[in-house]
Amino acid sequence: MFNRTEIIDKNFTLRVSSAEFPESHLNHNFDYLDFNKNKLIQIFESQVTSRHIDIKARLLKDKGKCFYTIGSAGHEGNAVFGNIFPYTDMAFLHYRSGPFFIERSKQINKTTPIYDLALSFMASSDDPISGGRHKVIGSKELNIPPQTSTIASHLPKAVGAAFSIDRSANLDLVENKIVPNSIVLCSFGDASSNHASALSAINTASWISAKGGNVPIIFICEDNGLGISVKTEEHWIQQNFSNKPYLNYIKVDGLNLFDLIKKSKQAERISRLERKPVFLHMKTVRLMGHAGSDVESGYQTLDKIEEAESNDPLLHSARILIENKLLDKDSVLTIYENTRNQVNHVFNYSLNRPKLETAAQVMTSISQNQNPYLIPECPAEEIRNQVFGKEYRRIDMPQHMAKLINYALCDLLLRYPNTLIFGEDVAKKGGVYHVTADLHKKFGSRRVFDSPLDETSIIGFGIGFGHNGFIPIPEIQFLAYFHNAEDQLRGEAATLAFFSEGQFSNPMVLRIPGLAYQKGFGGHFHNDNSLTIFRDMPGVILAVPSNGLDAVKMLRTAVREASTSGRVIVFIEPIALYMMKDLHNEKDGKWSFTYPKQNEEIPIGKFKSYGLGNALTIITYGNGLYLSLQAKKIIEETTKKEIKVIDLRWLSDIDYPALVNEMNLCKKILIIDECRKIGCHGEGIFYELSKKMTTKVKIKLHAAKNSYISLGVAATATLPSRESISKKGIEFINE
Amino acid sequence: MSKKRIVIVSPGRGTYSRETSGYLKKYRSSAKPHINWMDEMRLKNGYKTLTELDNSVFKTSVHMRGENASTLIYGCSISDFLSIDQSRYQIVGVAGNSMGWYTALTLSGATTIENGYRIIHEMGAMMEKEIIGGQIIYPFMNKDWSIDKLKKIDILKKIEEVNAYVSINLGGYLVIGGSQNSLDKLLKTLPKIEKFPFQIPFHAAFHTPLMEEVSKKAFKKIPISFFNKPKIPLIDGRGHIWSPFSTNEKELQDYTLKDQVLNTFDFTRTVEVALKEYCPDHIVLLGPGNTLGGSIGQIIIKNDWLKINSKDRFIEFQKKDPYLISMGEPTQRSHLF
Repeated sequence: MFNRTEIIDKNFTLRVSSAEFPESHLNHNFDYLDFNKNKLIQIFESQVTSRHIDIKARLLKDKGKCFYTIGSAGHEGNAVFGNIFPYTDMAFLHYRSGPFFIERSKQINKTTPIYDLALSFMASSDDPISGGRHKVIGSKELNIPPQTSTIASHLPKAVGAAFSIDRSANLDLVENKIVPNSIVLCSFGDASSNHASALSAINTASWISAKGGNVPIIFICEDNGLGISVKTEEHWIQQNFSNKPYLNYIKVDGLNLFDLIKKSKQAERISRLERKPVFLHMKTVRLMGHAGSDVESGYQTLDKIEEAESNDPLLHSARILIENKLLDKDSVLTIYENTRNQVNHVFNYSLNRPKLETAAQVMTSISQNQNPYLIPECPAEEIRNQVFGKEYRRIDMPQHMAKLINYALCDLLLRYPNTLIFGEDVAKKGGVYHVTADLHKKFGSRRVFDSPLDETSIIGFGIGFGHNGFIPIPEIQFLAYFHNAEDQLRGEAATLAFFSEGQFSNPMVLRIPGLAYQKGFGGHFHNDNSLTIFRDMPGVILAVPSNGLDAVKMLRTAVREASTSGRVIVFIEPIALYMMKDLHNEKDGKWSFTYPKQNEEIPIGKFKSYGLGNALTIITYGNGLYLSLQAKKIIEETTKKEIKVIDLRWLSDIDYPALVNEMNLCKKILIIDECRKIGCHGEGIFYELSKKMTTKVKIKLHAAKNSYISLGVAATATLPSRESISKKGIEFINE
Repeated sequence: MSKKRIVIVSPGRGTYSRETSGYLKKYRSSAKPHINWMDEMRLKNGYKTLTELDNSVFKTSVHMRGENASTLIYGCSISDFLSIDQSRYQIVGVAGNSMGWYTALTLSGATTIENGYRIIHEMGAMMEKEIIGGQIIYPFMNKDWSIDKLKKIDILKKIEEVNAYVSINLGGYLVIGGSQNSLDKLLKTLPKIEKFPFQIPFHAAFHTPLMEEVSKKAFKKIPISFFNKPKIPLIDGRGHIWSPFSTNEKELQDYTLKDQVLNTFDFTRTVEVALKEYCPDHIVLLGPGNTLGGSIGQIIIKNDWLKINSKDRFIEFQKKDPYLISMGEPTQRSHLF
């Protein structure tokens, strides 16, 4: 099959020299386009630059010096978007967007796109966006947040960012990052459009538009007809997206500069002026296979490969420029060869730039934030009085957790003008458990609003609004629903700082009511007891308060942390404890608490000890604490020995030195984990303590069985209970 | 053997000094017809010829005056440029500092040698009678040429306080432009570091809004017909690259007569873009003199270019196989020939 890269490269020179150009069925007249001829030549230069970068990357890959070869060959038409749309329009781009990036760079005078891309291809730590962590198309100054994949996981946040633009109008937030009246661009491939996240995002954009909301976004589907080796049927994209309600479908020939200019302007008019979503379907070809390692002949006939190559977008562009007398063929060839020379030298130099070497270097950016926000003052009492209304009089009375969190959210919305609350049923209904009750009434639809019933979009909103200076406090209605959308957190929100060295951030406090023990109600999907997913997200902070007092203080810490460090905080609220007022006996009121003063917070990693005994230490969290405190009474009465119960509160960022110190007189540690044993946090804590304890100790783990939750009386059969904890504790002490 | 790829940098005002006196005489052979033409033009306009100035004893009051200094430097730079053997060296980019931008226009082919002379002459002549404001030069780097970011922030604050402007970002130095009143305040308040702060004689507040009238007048005197697409990529004082094929001549005129006249000339960025987007084998600094060499060295160090990350390493590198070839420095000049 020969070296296709070499053939494509030589074909360009040969065919331009002999004026053998591919034809176009379109017949646009340049004079009617209202477009500067020099800009058109500039776009062609960007296309050529991108092509030579792809060629060079392949050459270096063969020598084992380049680590990423998914290129843009065939997609050079997207350079037009880089020209038409101002750099202030935030762009979430897929990995074939080299030409877009190069062309957009020319809008800002001081950029060095060839060098920056070379560093990225070579995984150099000098790479100005990811610092050598991934070959990404991204730039802070060009408003291109870095994307790493084409599983379309960037579409939901692009919709969120677009939705945030007009929502921020007149709020006068100093933190806003996207300029008013701008739009959002989001590109992806034809095969990616089949991903659940793509369909989710496109659906949500239409859903908002149907409700009269503004979502100024252009979905750019770059359709080369292939998803790696799998063919996209000729009319699939058009059939699938041209008849969606509230979505404006525009088809564009990605090989034709004039058509691209015309249709881009058309898409821009709809999106920028009418603030509506557009689906811009760019038909193009793929050249040089999926990536450098892809042997295209394994699944494509030579005829098909050659057919695509004969439609090389660069040849189409050269034809247009020559036909319209903007360049002669010698100039086209001079641009081609001079650019090759330039790219070769820049890439060769970049080979010797430094690389990341140590784990510490790699990990520096996991929780990096280059744009911390200032923390506002606490709101004045008269304002609180006014906003809390009749509740203000009750604020000093002991309350259960649901009410106290409601108060805390109210105070946070007051204090931080850039916070938002959204989720399913959180607005008028006030949430399934009334945790967000009355907040919509107090703060209006701009700050507290209902989302569609789609968790992917809820977290997508969170990330997108986060890109625009907000601190979203989204709610996922139940923990089990989160798993529907977990990649939005794991693959997107959690990695943004890592892949941008903290230049971009998506601060967020994600509230999730969850965990079990709802007295038989709801079954598994309302009682899901697995937090395992959150053990596996570097940088994400996990909070699990066990009572209202802690919940308020921890929620305040979470918002502060999101503001300053830009991190994502997952805030799990144990549903079974929402309305709990008593601990040991009915009406003892020991699980009701008075709302703490506004400046009281609990630092991340700060655990709390109950009791001073050393006969046994129970380490737990959430419902486990509530049950363990009940069990503590029984254990101490039975054994006549005093024990200690530790509430971890924060399941990430555990302060192990302090924990070890707290237990240095204790010989027995019982970890109570209400989540399923395999993969639960207790498992990790067991391992860490067995390594870190300086004294000889025995450690046991009592966790939930590896089962799903049942309905009715058996709902808690698989879970640790007051009785099982008491029994395990007594037996352990007596060993 | 393949040609070595070089980026040319033409210097700005202040480089023709007592030390470089006689530079044209020494090196002008290849530019003789052009210098002769410039001499004729100057005679016609009532100025001393470049040849006469170059041959006479250096006098600050004569040689440093705008109408003389600019064209002298232009002549020297053109002369140096024309002596480069282009069969051995491929010029991949051309840049300049401040007034050197006008020279760069000529060298890149964006204007002719004659029109380049006219641009420089007109821009200088407009301040012949009265110099508007002035320029101070002040360092913010440490002795080892590493950048002191905090110091820079502090200086920028002081500049703002007295309504002065950053005229040029010049490696480890800031050239500060402003009214004499503003500069006097800075001369008093900026801590003394060796000879700095130092006011550059006969220099106006170039690259600041104080030049607005000059810019307006310039459009009347320097028509768009003076500007062509460059033949060699041209890197301006923002780090923008003007392409031989896609340059818009009107935009080039606007930048030359307005943008760079009224706004900071970011020479640091110019050199950074030259390094990164072309990765040349050498940077060649045209004469006269080599005072810009230090600034270029500081920019090289700032970017850890070729792993040169300190003044000592730069000096060591320059001794062995100079990356920066200053044609005004005879030992380095010899590397080109």
